[in-house]
Amino acid sequence: MKRKYKRKKDESEINITPLLDIVFIMLIFFIVTTSFVKEISLDVNRPTKSPVKEQKRSEVISVRISAEGQIFVQERLVDIAAVRANIEANLAIKPSASVVIVSDRDAAAGFLVKVIDQSRLAGAKNVSLAAQK
Amino acid sequence: MLRKKRREEEESEINITPMMDIVFIMLIFFIVTTSFIKETGINPNRPEAETAIRAEQGNILIAISPSDQIWMNKRPIELEAVKFMIEAAHAENPESSVVIVADELASTGLVLDVMDQIRSSGISKISLSARKK
Repeated sequence: MKRKYKRKKDESEINITPLLDIVFIMLIFFIVTTSFVKEISLDVNRPTKSPVKEQKRSEVISVRISAEGQIFVQERLVDIAAVRANIEANLAIKPSASVVIVSDRDAAAGFLVKVIDQSRLAGAKNVSLAAQK
Repeated sequence: MLRKKRREEEESEINITPMMDIVFIMLIFFIVTTSFIKETGINPNRPEAETAIRAEQGNILIAISPSDQIWMNKRPIELEAVKFMIEAAHAENPESSVVIVADELASTGLVLDVMDQIRSSGISKISLSARKK
């Protein structure tokens, strides 16, 4: 009697085959659904409407984009390739200045991204956006 | 004799414990790394930028077509619906940030409007998608 009981206990292992099946199905599901693609993007800083921080005019480098895509740095018409140099020159005069991009509503978004990129390259720490009605 | 042989055969199963270990480790890896990105439905022509970086947390995508249509979750949506949709997406995935995939030719005004809508839904981490130069 005792011996029989012992043998029975020996053979009664937990059957892990269903567990393995489920684990494999989950593994395949996650392998298939995983996407490692991440968007490449620029962080933007848009000042909120409600508590507008008044910035002194002297501490702001304004970059205006017209509807046709012309770019004005401190109200002077410049080429897209010269934006970086112009912002650098302005930053050399006032190092703590922040760049404010004022864009016409009808201007193409490509110009906006290019100007943000150029001002980052010029070393501006604070780039913010505003729209012109 | 016959009985002995049978017992031996039963014991010579392949040991699947190491395989189970590996499968479990892979499963955990895929569960942890999976982030469910919902496609926007269109693939706009992203502007080029040099300072763009990979948005690690950018899981909520919102696209703007060249003809100024807003796309999210594979369908076009109205500007007024952006806030609601973003809030719903953010509730599903609280630590994600929003990436605006705007076409080069989309109007800046709409991009800024969408940005305001996202901001009003309480998310401050917004970035603009770009292409590495």
